[in-house]
Amino acid sequence: MLEFFSRNLEATVSVILFGVGFTMLLLHQNLIKKIMGMNIMDTAVYLFLAAKGYIDGRMVPIVTEETLDASLYINPVPSGLVLTGIVVSVSTTALMLALTKRLYEKYGSLNLDEILMLAKEEKQ
Amino acid sequence: MSFVQNFPFFSIILAMFSGIVSSVLSGRRARDLSLCMIGITTAMSACVLFFCRETGESYTYMMGHFPAPWGNEIRAGVLEGLTAVMFGIVMFLSVLGGMNDAVEDVEASKLNLFYIMIDLMLSSLLALVYTNDLFTAYVFVEINTIAGCGLIMIRMRGRSLSAAIRYMILSQLGSGLFLIGLSILYDITGHLLMSPAKEAVAAILADGRYEIPMLVVLAVISVGLAIKSGLYPFHYWIPDTYGYATPTASAVLSGLVSKGYIFLLVKIFFRVLGTENIIDSHMVNVLYIFGIAGMLMGSLHAIRERDTGRMIAYSSVAQIGYIYMGIGLGTEAGVIAALFHVFTHSATKALLFISAVGLYDVSGGKRNPESLRGAAYRNPVAGIGFTVGALSMVGFPMLSGFISKLLFATSALQSPGKMLPTLIVLAVSTTLNAVYFLRLVISVYSRRGVYGEEQAAQPKSSFALRISIVCFVVLNFILGLASQPIVGAIREGLSMFG
Amino acid sequence: MEENVRLILPIFFPIAAGIFLMAMPVFRKRRKLEEGIVTAVLAVQLLFVVSALMTDVTVTLWSITDSLALVFRADGISCLFGLLTASVWLLSGIYSISYMRHEKEETRFFGFYLIVEGVLIGLDLSANLITLYVFYELMTLTSLPLVLHEKSRQAIMAGLKYLFYSVAGAFLALFGIFFLSGVTTLEFCAGGALDSAVLGQSRALFLVAVFCMLVGFGAKAGMFPLHGWLPTAHPVAPAPASAVLSGVITKSGVLAVIRVVYFVIGPESIRGTWVQNTWIFLTLLTVFMGSMLAYREPVLKKRLAYSTVSQVSYILFGLGLLNATAFAGALSHIVFHSLIKNALFLVAGAVIVTTGWTRTDEMRGLGRVMPRTLAWYTVASLGLVGIPPASGFVSKWFLASGALESGTGVWSFAGPAVLLVSALLTAGYLLPLTVNGYFPGSDFRGEEIEERQLSGREPSARMRIPIVIFAAASLLFGCFPGSLIRFLESIAAAVM
Repeated sequence: MLEFFSRNLEATVSVILFGVGFTMLLLHQNLIKKIMGMNIMDTAVYLFLAAKGYIDGRMVPIVTEETLDASLYINPVPSGLVLTGIVVSVSTTALMLALTKRLYEKYGSLNLDEILMLAKEEKQ
Repeated sequence: MSFVQNFPFFSIILAMFSGIVSSVLSGRRARDLSLCMIGITTAMSACVLFFCRETGESYTYMMGHFPAPWGNEIRAGVLEGLTAVMFGIVMFLSVLGGMNDAVEDVEASKLNLFYIMIDLMLSSLLALVYTNDLFTAYVFVEINTIAGCGLIMIRMRGRSLSAAIRYMILSQLGSGLFLIGLSILYDITGHLLMSPAKEAVAAILADGRYEIPMLVVLAVISVGLAIKSGLYPFHYWIPDTYGYATPTASAVLSGLVSKGYIFLLVKIFFRVLGTENIIDSHMVNVLYIFGIAGMLMGSLHAIRERDTGRMIAYSSVAQIGYIYMGIGLGTEAGVIAALFHVFTHSATKALLFISAVGLYDVSGGKRNPESLRGAAYRNPVAGIGFTVGALSMVGFPMLSGFISKLLFATSALQSPGKMLPTLIVLAVSTTLNAVYFLRLVISVYSRRGVYGEEQAAQPKSSFALRISIVCFVVLNFILGLASQPIVGAIREGLSMFG
Repeated sequence: MEENVRLILPIFFPIAAGIFLMAMPVFRKRRKLEEGIVTAVLAVQLLFVVSALMTDVTVTLWSITDSLALVFRADGISCLFGLLTASVWLLSGIYSISYMRHEKEETRFFGFYLIVEGVLIGLDLSANLITLYVFYELMTLTSLPLVLHEKSRQAIMAGLKYLFYSVAGAFLALFGIFFLSGVTTLEFCAGGALDSAVLGQSRALFLVAVFCMLVGFGAKAGMFPLHGWLPTAHPVAPAPASAVLSGVITKSGVLAVIRVVYFVIGPESIRGTWVQNTWIFLTLLTVFMGSMLAYREPVLKKRLAYSTVSQVSYILFGLGLLNATAFAGALSHIVFHSLIKNALFLVAGAVIVTTGWTRTDEMRGLGRVMPRTLAWYTVASLGLVGIPPASGFVSKWFLASGALESGTGVWSFAGPAVLLVSALLTAGYLLPLTVNGYFPGSDFRGEEIEERQLSGREPSARMRIPIVIFAAASLLFGCFPGSLIRFLESIAAAVM
């Protein structure tokens, strides 16, 4: 059992991290912590992907004159995915932070429950 | 290669570019550009649809210079074309119908941003429909989420801001799950393109390896997309989101966005994971149970709701339940029924949101049934539109909702174990639908209430709104009366889906 | 081609006329013109219906899906219902022209009145279950404005109740239709086309589905447990609308039941099952309960509505016996009850218009106000009670003898017994009006009648003539039932 986890160390860690992030995003009432949770969750996935693409003893997949042979460097696709993923997560984080700022200005609170309650009252 | 085969790519990129161009245009111009672009992309999608019907098979379109197992691909068939056309029409009419209210709800300086969001929304929806690559799907899911969130929060009221953050959080949970699911899938199969991934999945399952990870992938992807499309019990972001956004946004979000995710889910089921595996894994049963629960709970919530916008939104929860119930039947007929209901619901729910706006406008902006009394006399077109939409949702013969119900019921007859619960829940849920929709219909046709004659004299809703309502009504009748070719196309498309 | 047009013309002609009437604002001002058009349309419509019933073609109007289509054809049952609908509509229409002068928004009333007739004719001419269902739903929807006419809070609540009962019933029935579409054709054919062998394992489910359809369509016919809408909805509608609601629209529920049992599944498939027993039990319960409630009800229109609940279940009882004699009796009771109940409701309307009285205890001394109308009321009432030679006697005779020879165990005795008790109750709730009307008793002074100079105020000719025709027809059919019964027996022989 333990051996299985140590063999898949990166996968284990990233699943744990994903769980941590997911729980934070789901259960924490503080918006900033929710956003942090979301980032942890995304990062866990990037760790997972990057680890899966890594092949022991090879180089970064930057192609130059000398290194045209594909067997010399690691799988470039996961790295590409991670880069794309980072871009996506940066933009969603920015959007959520902007929203949070707006809400804080309006209601003076970062607690989601409180904000929802205030918003409901305001309507009536 | 025929020129038409480029159209899926063109329409995605055109939608995206008009979003970019809109950032330097005035709100009015951006709107015109947006409408124009939606029209053109819809026409292109129609060409794709006819092309694929002509050739009788789907085709793949290589993006970039890398061939099949590595590069990125678009794949278009009859079903993709049909869905894109349908989405385009609903989008066009929603924008048309809500454009005057958008001017009121959105700050003038930010109006062009609203249309940027619309453009990006369409672009991402088209990409979700056409793409053959899992990671591209993920990226566009995120773009879709961001655009959706923008559409909600652009109406700068407290309630819509809080709705936006809620929507964002739930969506992030959903897309996080989807992302980890496809990462694990990539890890197991080594493919991101759907078609090669399917072969790999079949080989792995034939060997009997990776049983648990496959199950995890299946569960995580299904749940992730279910959260994003608002399946009960992940529905609680829906009422605020749909209820308090500006009308176009409500119509687009409820009519199209959730449908995009459902389409993606069906695509992944058919094209990657394989329907037999899904059925063996009992994931369909889970979806089925949640779908049935949604059908009942959504309607029950809607009955208790006093705010018309939120009521229509809760009805969406029920209708999403119908769709997942159809998928959950685990038969081809069930999926066809579900896909037809996707079309029905997007046409009908958008109609309801848009015509409800016409009714609020003549009732002093109030949205409770008492204020809406007699509103149908003050705005006859909106009254008729709302009535048709409500009747369609209830499943009145000759309208699209009836055909959906018919398809659901006949497909239920083919799966013995699920026949009885399906039929019973269909009957109960239909009756519940009738309770809250027809109650409101009678209300808007009852004697003039708080708002008397002087309000009737106030300016009627705009010409665009009326045109849009009339077109939606016609669309509903077309889906209800000439359903056979559409069902045939769905069946044909589904057979070239795998 | 020409025959095809003749068949569907009476469906679309009144609908078009009704829409035309409502869409043209000019009629709101020119009342005489409007009334003339309505009368003309109704009269022409009667001719169209007759001509449609003489055709011998099957018209497919529209294919909803490959297997489902809107198909029309005229057969024996269509003749019965079509003629009944068109003639009742014409007479009640003439009455309503005079009656509606006392109400507002008569254009909308007439418009929907015409539309409902077209829908009903469509219902009568349907040749498969889907067409029937489509028109059944349309009928609910288009008859709703008639109930809602006054738009008072009470009327809206009644309309909602009507709608919910009808919709719930219709969807219950739809569940059955979905099931049947899996096992048999939905085309109507006398005696049913269902092959019991295909049912196999799903026989239990089949029975449940049939039962759902009986209860669902029974809602329109006011059968327990979905009868609650009837006494609420009928009294709030204008009198001519209550008359046709009670006289014709409740019968469309009966029509649907006939079509399902005798033309789709076949009577043999449920004979002796729990479905037949429960069905008979429910109808007898409704017969008795309706009579009791009517007996205790003081408001005349409500009393008549309860009476409808009870009387329509006579018909359903006759159908449930699955026996040729009882079937003929049920069909004849459809005609007789329709004529009689129309007469009674029209009298109730005439009383309201002339005096404003709605409760029976106010109507003491009615004989002084309108002696002749009250006489026709009495004739019609006697028909409903079933005293020979009035028509009700004929139908009840057939129902009772059908029950005795049906071989349904306890029901063959219990049925006639309940019918007898109910007939006594019917006499008990209808005839006091006559008695108190003519013989108000020595303590009755009639101040109100003198004060308001109501004495001898018979309703106008337009209102009186339809009442007279309805009541006289019920009497005539009772005296000379021969040819009608022979016609009905020929239908019965075909389906058994």
